[in-house]
Formats: sequence, C-alpha cells, structure tokens
Amino acid sequence: MSDLSFQEKSAWGTLVALFVLGALYFSSVWNLWRADELHLPAVFGLGVGFTVLLVVVLIAYHAVVAVLSRPEDEDERDRLIGWRAGNAGGLVLGFLVVTIVLHIVVGGLVGRGFAHELAESPALISVSLIAALWLSTVVELALAVRYYRRGT
Amino acid sequence: MGAIVNRVRELRMSADMTQQALADAVGVSRQTVNAIETGRYSPSLEVALRIARAFDQPVEGVFWLARESGR
Repeated sequence: MSDLSFQEKSAWGTLVALFVLGALYFSSVWNLWRADELHLPAVFGLGVGFTVLLVVVLIAYHAVVAVLSRPEDEDERDRLIGWRAGNAGGLVLGFLVVTIVLHIVVGGLVGRGFAHELAESPALISVSLIAALWLSTVVELALAVRYYRRGT
Repeated sequence: MGAIVNRVRELRMSADMTQQALADAVGVSRQTVNAIETGRYSPSLEVALRIARAFDQPVEGVFWLARESGR
C-alpha cells in the first residue's frame, strides 16, 4: 500500500467499502422483495442506514490513510484519471437510467412481467435507480484503480 | 503521432535526486514521477517544462517522440 498515492488509496478504499456495503444492502433488499415486504419506508430506511454506515466507514478509512500517508494534493494525473473514470461511470449511469425508464414505460403498456411490476412499484423503481447509481460508481472506481495501475 | 519517451530517470540519477524530491520540485506526486519514468504516463507540457527546468535542460533534451529516438 505504501507505493500508492493518497488518491489511489482513496479509490481502493471507497471501491471496497462500496462493494461490500452495497452487496449487504442489495442482499437485504432482495430478502425484503422475496418476503413481499419491499415498500418505500423499508427501502428508505435501509438506504439511509447504509448511506450513514458508508459515510462513517469512508471517513474513518480516509482519516487513517491521511495520518499514515504523506499529505499530497491532487495532481494532473489524478485529475485525468478522475475525469476518464467519471466519464465512463456517467455513461454507465445514463445507460442504466434509460434502461429503467424504458422498462417502466414498456411495463405500463404491457401489463405483465417484471417490467409491469417495476412500473407498478415505486419501491422497486427506487431500488433500481439506487442500483444504477451504485453500479456506475463501482465501475468508475474500478476503472480509476485500473488507470492508476496502468499509468493513466 | 509517436509515443513520447524521456530520460527523466537518467537525469534524476545523475543529479542524485530521489523521485520524491523531483516530485516536490515539479508539484506532482511521487507515483506520477514513477509513471513518467517508466513511460506509463506522458505529462502535460507544463509539467514537462517544470521537469526540464529542474534539470536545467531544454524540454527537448528530456522528452522526445519515439520515432525520433534514433537522433
């Protein structure tokens, strides 16, 4: 880890925390859905709980990294990598959101299947949008880590 | 457009400088200096000029296009 810059350590830590906590969150959502208890208050409560947990974990992680690492500002390579990874993450988010919207529209027209269930359930729409945001962020961070290892 | 090659490591060794010292002089991270030396990252013109100035060299004496390497 000592060979990594602060920015790269930040990308690694955020990626791992987001991946682990995201997996726990979606596993909880999946269990609620199977039990037919996926309602907006439950989705909201879970979302707030996991968001707070994620923020606490990331603050603690970055505090430890900042204490153990040499302080350094973001340089042009960090900015280039952040821009490239963010661009790819934005494309993934856009694609997923359009896909979700198309499912909702098709579900409203067809009247059966998962698309219909999605169109009829605000909780499922919320979870789908959260999943899109989570996946796009994971892709962005994974690409950032890859770009750091590759140079750019 | 050919890839940009450089002799940053050679000049740094000659100047008995660490990667961290060069990074501090230029205003980038040590990892960025390492990426430049290993050819994994081509710096902006601004950083290239700062590196050249740190070694008191013209920029073309530090960086050049790969197809010109037989010069």
